[in-house]
Amino acid sequence: MGCGCSDCEEMMQPYMDKVLTEEQVREAQEHLARCPGCEKRYRFEYKLRMFVRVAVDEPMAPELRARLAGLRSPAPPH
Amino acid sequence: MSESAPTAAESRRIAEEARDRVRFEEEALQLSDQVYRVARRLVGSREEAEDLMQDTYARAFRSWQQYQPGTNLRAWLLRILTNLNIDRGRRQRRMPELQPLEEGDYFLYDRLEATIPDENPDEERVLERLSQNAVVEALAEVPHDFRDVLVLVDIGEFSYAEAAQILDIPLGTVMSRLHRGRRILKRALAEKAVTA
Repeated sequence: MGCGCSDCEEMMQPYMDKVLTEEQVREAQEHLARCPGCEKRYRFEYKLRMFVRVAVDEPMAPELRARLAGLRSPAPPH
Repeated sequence: MSESAPTAAESRRIAEEARDRVRFEEEALQLSDQVYRVARRLVGSREEAEDLMQDTYARAFRSWQQYQPGTNLRAWLLRILTNLNIDRGRRQRRMPELQPLEEGDYFLYDRLEATIPDENPDEERVLERLSQNAVVEALAEVPHDFRDVLVLVDIGEFSYAEAAQILDIPLGTVMSRLHRGRRILKRALAEKAVTA
């Protein structure tokens, strides 16, 4: 089990999303500097987000690209 | 020449509008990869995502004049797309009051770490317990209302405010659904972890 730092756990999502106030960010960073367990879990969270983003990426089929391009308005006559 | 003057102004206006429209269409098409990336995970299958993309671009090209130049075009397209997705039979239901999730944000890490025999493994090794398929499946299991927000913010990289605008829900709802959606995703991931 982690280090039991429940405040740090609660701050993780807003910290990653960059919605904490400057003071809260400083608080979180001070804690992380002292607590390798939380720090590692923060690093894991960050890498997990990247992993999820890459894992679910499925490129668009070329046929769809062509179909979308075909929806454009006809070129105006000159 | 009294007749040709208004005609010249008129044809200039038409030409300008045609140029604006072509520019709009090109910009929208350039964003199609990014829009598709989000669309693909809002729905269950590639076919649905493709139909939705086609309907979205058809509607966008029809109503291009409603787009305010200078605002976020990708968000505008996704707003059309999510509305069409809801119109297609996925009614936005009121969410029943849900039980609070027991698991906190460290839950997944702790569960995965426990499957590794070594003391104190680094986070890369912990992450290796998850396969690409597990992520795809786990995301598909997250209920729609939570998944929409999760996909827009974590995969589409939209801000909370943009997600709120696209889905037409309050900012606080975006935040609570995101928070909960991520925990639901982690619980599903924990179930699909590689245990070997």
